[in-house]
Amino acid sequence: MRRAMGSGAPSRDVPLALKGSDGRRRIITAADDLARQMGVYIGMPVAKAESIYSDLVILDADPMADAMALEKLAIWALRLYSPLVAADPPDGLVLDIQGAAHLYGGEAGLIEDVRRRLADLSISSMVALADTWGAAHALARFGRQVVQIVDSGKAGEALRHLPVEALRLPPEMVPDLRLLGLDTIGELAGKPRPPLTKSFGPKLFRRIDQAFGRLNEPIEPVEAPELIRIERVLAEPIGAPETIQKYTRRLTDRICLRLEEAGLGSRRLDLHFMRTDNRIETIFVATAKPVRDARRLAKLLVDKIETVDPGYGIDKMVMTAAFTEPLAMKQTLASFEAPARPDVEDLWDVLANRHGSDCLYRAVSVATDIPERAVRRVPPTSEEVGSKRNALYRRPQRLYRKPEEIKALAVLPDHPPRAFTWRGQRYAVACADGPERIRGEWWVTDREKGKVRDYFILEVESGERFWAFRTGDGQHADTGGLKWYLHGKFE
Amino acid sequence: MSYVELQCASYFSFLQAVSAPDALFERAKELGMDALAIADTNTLAGMVRAHVAAHETGVRLIIGCRLVLRDGLILLVYPLNRGGYANLCRLLSLGKMRAGKGKCDLDWQDVEDFHEGLLAIFVPDEPDEPCALRLRKVKALFGQNAYIAMSLRYRQNDHMRLQALSNLAVKLRVPTVVTNDVLYATHERAFLHDVITCIKNRCTIDTMGDLRFLYADRFLKSPEEMHRLFPDYRDAMRRTVEIADKCRFSLSELEYQYPEEKQLPGMTASEALKRFCWAGAKWRYPEGVPQSVVDLLKHELDLIDQLDYAKYFLTVNAIVKYAQSQDILHQGRGSAANSCVCYVLGITSVDPSRNDLLFERFISLERKEPPDIDVDFEHQRRERVYEWIWQTYGRDHAAITAVVSRFRTRGAMRDALRVLGFPEDTIKVLAKNIRYWHSEGCTPEMAAELGLNINDRRLKLAFEIHLLLLDVPRQLSQHPGGFVLTNDRLDELVPIEPARMAGRQVIEWDKDDIDVLKFMKMDCLALGMMSALKRGFDLLAEHKGIHMDLSCIPPEDPKTYAMIRRADTIGAFQIESRAQMAMLPQTQPRTFYEIVVQVAIVRPGPIQGDMVHPYLRRLKGEEEVTYPTPEVESILAKTKGVPLFQEQAMKLVSVCAGFTAGQADQVRRAQATFKKTGGLGEVSQAIIAGMIKNGYTEEYANQLVKQLEGFGSYGFPESHAFSFAIIAEASCWLKCHHPDVFLAAILNSQPMGFYAPAQLIRDAKAHGVEIRWFCANKSRWDCTLEPGSKPGRLAVRLGFRLIKGIRSQDVADLIVRRGEVPYKSIPDLWRRAKTPAATLRKLAKANVFETSFKIVRRDAVVDIKSLGDDVLPLFDCVLDEHGRSVFEYDQPNLNLKRMSDGANVVEDYNTIGFSQTVHPITFLRQDLKERGYITCADAMASKDRRYVSVAGMVNVRQRPGSANGVIFLTIEDETGDANVIVWEKVGETYKQAVYGASLVLITGYVQREGEAVHLVARTAVDLSHMLVEIGDRDNPLALPHQPGDEFRRGGPGVDLRVARQMRIEHRSRDFK
Repeated sequence: MRRAMGSGAPSRDVPLALKGSDGRRRIITAADDLARQMGVYIGMPVAKAESIYSDLVILDADPMADAMALEKLAIWALRLYSPLVAADPPDGLVLDIQGAAHLYGGEAGLIEDVRRRLADLSISSMVALADTWGAAHALARFGRQVVQIVDSGKAGEALRHLPVEALRLPPEMVPDLRLLGLDTIGELAGKPRPPLTKSFGPKLFRRIDQAFGRLNEPIEPVEAPELIRIERVLAEPIGAPETIQKYTRRLTDRICLRLEEAGLGSRRLDLHFMRTDNRIETIFVATAKPVRDARRLAKLLVDKIETVDPGYGIDKMVMTAAFTEPLAMKQTLASFEAPARPDVEDLWDVLANRHGSDCLYRAVSVATDIPERAVRRVPPTSEEVGSKRNALYRRPQRLYRKPEEIKALAVLPDHPPRAFTWRGQRYAVACADGPERIRGEWWVTDREKGKVRDYFILEVESGERFWAFRTGDGQHADTGGLKWYLHGKFE
Repeated sequence: MSYVELQCASYFSFLQAVSAPDALFERAKELGMDALAIADTNTLAGMVRAHVAAHETGVRLIIGCRLVLRDGLILLVYPLNRGGYANLCRLLSLGKMRAGKGKCDLDWQDVEDFHEGLLAIFVPDEPDEPCALRLRKVKALFGQNAYIAMSLRYRQNDHMRLQALSNLAVKLRVPTVVTNDVLYATHERAFLHDVITCIKNRCTIDTMGDLRFLYADRFLKSPEEMHRLFPDYRDAMRRTVEIADKCRFSLSELEYQYPEEKQLPGMTASEALKRFCWAGAKWRYPEGVPQSVVDLLKHELDLIDQLDYAKYFLTVNAIVKYAQSQDILHQGRGSAANSCVCYVLGITSVDPSRNDLLFERFISLERKEPPDIDVDFEHQRRERVYEWIWQTYGRDHAAITAVVSRFRTRGAMRDALRVLGFPEDTIKVLAKNIRYWHSEGCTPEMAAELGLNINDRRLKLAFEIHLLLLDVPRQLSQHPGGFVLTNDRLDELVPIEPARMAGRQVIEWDKDDIDVLKFMKMDCLALGMMSALKRGFDLLAEHKGIHMDLSCIPPEDPKTYAMIRRADTIGAFQIESRAQMAMLPQTQPRTFYEIVVQVAIVRPGPIQGDMVHPYLRRLKGEEEVTYPTPEVESILAKTKGVPLFQEQAMKLVSVCAGFTAGQADQVRRAQATFKKTGGLGEVSQAIIAGMIKNGYTEEYANQLVKQLEGFGSYGFPESHAFSFAIIAEASCWLKCHHPDVFLAAILNSQPMGFYAPAQLIRDAKAHGVEIRWFCANKSRWDCTLEPGSKPGRLAVRLGFRLIKGIRSQDVADLIVRRGEVPYKSIPDLWRRAKTPAATLRKLAKANVFETSFKIVRRDAVVDIKSLGDDVLPLFDCVLDEHGRSVFEYDQPNLNLKRMSDGANVVEDYNTIGFSQTVHPITFLRQDLKERGYITCADAMASKDRRYVSVAGMVNVRQRPGSANGVIFLTIEDETGDANVIVWEKVGETYKQAVYGASLVLITGYVQREGEAVHLVARTAVDLSHMLVEIGDRDNPLALPHQPGDEFRRGGPGVDLRVARQMRIEHRSRDFK
């Protein structure tokens, strides 16, 4: 059962393998069915796989993400099948289905349902049902059948032929057991215990006892994350915006209390309106940072109420903190000198919820010499400070969208123009600074390769200051075509 | 109107500037400059190249250095005289010693200590207060010799900044001087500077950001242009010339002195050398020195006197004498090494009567170049020779020469791709497919073959960039053994930096630089085979009472040469590779000189120059041996008219084209640089013209030039081949007559050579050497010799060093505590030797205890497992006669299954790579036979063109560069090896089997070429899965497909992963 999810993954008819490292070498850590059919095996050196199978797609394994996905899958199973579910990393789930199977028409029915649903998620599965966790673990992985149901009390029999790896032993123990010729669980179980325990420690037979059901092994179930959710049933259906606002505020107050108890702040708050005609209207607010300020949240929600169509009336409202983050109490710093930085987050949230978060950005400077690329948008919450590369140099506040070609008279190779004509008007240059020689970013486009621009600050007789450049350095023809452009104006 | 550029960095400011000193001087000449100062950052590494370039262009070199101090202060310094240069060298040496390899850490105090004789230009940033402070400091220290640099930056406020700097300078009364801060010769290379900035900072071009150099136009500019740019600073311009006039120190003033050898007090070096030589002659010829040797010796000594090389020979003699006193085996090689003087001094073991190499050929009066002697020492004991040199000559007088590591195709491509942000996988694929002989860079076609999109803009850029990066130095590393020894302080001649290896120090110049300055260099090289031979000779003396050394190996011993002709040379020096072994049956060497040729012929030079096949044809008499003229005959007679050695090439040029020795030397240098320029260039025209003038046909001249080009820098000198042949002959003699001794010696000298221990052992076994398995009571760290079961033969007892992952200290403890009393049992051993359980476990896995205590692998592992690490003294005291404690009796018997024979073989293979009983394939033979596959031995004995199927375990995979993608496989089974040739196309089709299989089935036809037999593969099938079964087989003759005991097979539900644990982890030696 391996991760086959994720969008943008290679198509299914391409063999896929994942690579990781075992400390010294890069090895294949997982391979899909197609790849395995080709002969790729787990533990194969990546270099070897690459050289032999040219059409094999090898991606980096992400054990963390795998573990998280498995945890998610456990929660999924928890909701569906049984309250006792745990992840059995790296690749399995363990379910205690005592008293749960009848819902699916017996054990076989339940297994059938599990497999079908997993298949819908593009996860192939092997399932085993046995008395103990250990036995089921071993059979699911080392048994030959895709589905195996072992009758109660028969676990020992079923395990006998399985290799010792199936016992969930520490990996370094297995080669030693094999060296001793103890290949199967049956062989191992039949040996006198004291010498082996002396050699291998108590864990060995504890695992056997667990698998054979002589020793209890509890499942520590995953816990589904509890969503904070409150509701209000209304005696009389409501419809007036003012009434909806009133209840919204109350619900917000309550949910904020709950959030405070949990030490959380809301990043997204959903509000569902159940209408008397069984339709549901939903609004939500998302915030840039976790919030549990009831006034602020209520204000954001109220802003959106106008989009709610109450129909013949609303008889129930449900508010859910759909996405929360920890938010601890914080002491506001009372600074002695400067006033604390104004908190504009409130404003961001209002603006973002009204106009969409795309409209909000901050500008930072980029480490580049090309003026048109020197500024970049970042989210308002970003901590980035940007590059200091151009901090020493004067730049106009605004650049023209496109540099505007001008006619200029200048002495070659690197003198500023004496005068230029822009938009039909002639300007005589009073004084100038330059050239500031900017080299093209040859890696961005071929057009910039080896090219330069000579920038000049030109002060004309009226006192206005322009920023103009000439392409080329005036000496080498390959650096540019000696055309003049106006790129901005100092305000 | 003139101007001298004083701030110019060459690419020896590693990864900070991009132009070669040659290119800078070339450009300076074009621009009409009279002088140029090279000032690299904290180094003088490029100075000799610059010196040479200056000579060639006629532009004077001003030696300089750009010091970057700890606090960021930048100072350009120029030695005014020899004393200033010495101070600069010592200053840099100090900074490098302090900071470690490749770095330099200096502060103002150091500059104060060594400022004498230096002129300084302060390089300011902004004209602010800290700048003024620093300038004051510089002024206070350097006084009249302090200046401040004025450079244009091509950013805003340039002129304001210059004005402010100028004002500041006036205020502090420091004269200003214009510099241009040059980082590349011409403006087109600016973008390359971006690339190396990324390489230096390990970032990609997209993430470079602030690291990109802020200031533009860092190329060399003509004096006129500089005058135009600085119209207001005429004085500052004029001062560049003034400074250039002051700094007249040149490297040719460096006077190199040989170390004074005071070996015989009261005698001059020449007298001492004579005394040593005549004494040595008596030792070499105890029956009386033959007249011919007397004449030769006199002649050579005269020549040495004339050239004043006596001190050099004395130094080499002193080092070799030390090695002799320590009984370290050595053999001299190189140009002067095969002389009579070297023979009588004991530097070489080549009897001069065995060759007719003329001394003058190596030490010429014209060339005035110091002689070159390299000495090979045992690789495991060379360090002691080093130690002695440090102690005798002192760290101020001795250092190792540097090697400038430069970008080669693969590294350049890899870094170009990395800088352009290609993913690591793409980089690996491309780099992996660049072979080392792609010295002229790789082509986009190559990328297309690999399925990369060659229209990709970035990929195109990468191809363009990697070509420009070729030959740009990356760093200095140390030469494998070249020592520079001086009489004066070495760190006043050249800066010294510490090597990565503790206790070693390296000068900043490499071998060519030293040649230019005529420094003495002696190579103390390490050779694995020397260690092996030394051990072999010691063992011979100890066990067989035969006393041998390199000089008394029977020359041209018939039995040895017969073995060589059979290509039975696994483990022998030089002639053991697959290519050499394929050649031997064709060349059929019968004389020593043919071994010399053999050593030199299988090399990239002769192969690329297409000299091998003509030589072979002429050797076999298939082609007439002709010489255009008698002169050519005199040069090429020994090699059938085909030039094979570098000396012959040189001689041909001087005789046929009428070149002087100096011109011939140019050819040698042109050959070395041939890679860069793509041909011998003008020199080849001169050769052809000269030859035609001397009456040779144009055809012959063209052919010769082509051969010279093919040689490239890979040409192998005859003098080296001679020394190698001596060692090769000696190793073959030992292998032939004393295979037992040879095996022990070579196993104890691992790692070395071409073959893994397992292959050497298998080969020895095939030659009837008795191999005895490891034993806790008999084995030592090294392999040892024991009286064999047959009289007169010795058996080789394997030493613990062959077991992977064992620490020698543990073994030493085990052996010391063993003493005279053998260990009785594992617990006994454990208690007495205190060997850690992990080591014991490794010994058990290698089945050491079966030999010693009759305890098989499996039981031994259980025993060791139960030892635990804490001893219980109470139960510890009672031991029975078998060494088992009473405590152990209480254990119920585990009654483990016997390990199958197959499993034992698998374990043997996994531990040391061969089996003590039978070959793994034996277990599969029945299966293979049923399928109609024959054995390797049968296949190799088959008739030509017979179509056969052979299965074997893959031992060696080779894909030689000169063979157009052909893959050579060596496969083996219980009967022997088979040599398989896989053509490129077949290799592609059966990629998985050819590249990946441990056990491979080859179907193809047999090709007999004289005595060389090959199997040419048509198909290849991976049978590795069969190896999995071996562990389950017990009787080697077990019937195939026997439904084995279900227990042993692990039941029906065996996961593939499980089965693979028991597989043979057979490692082939792939693609070296």
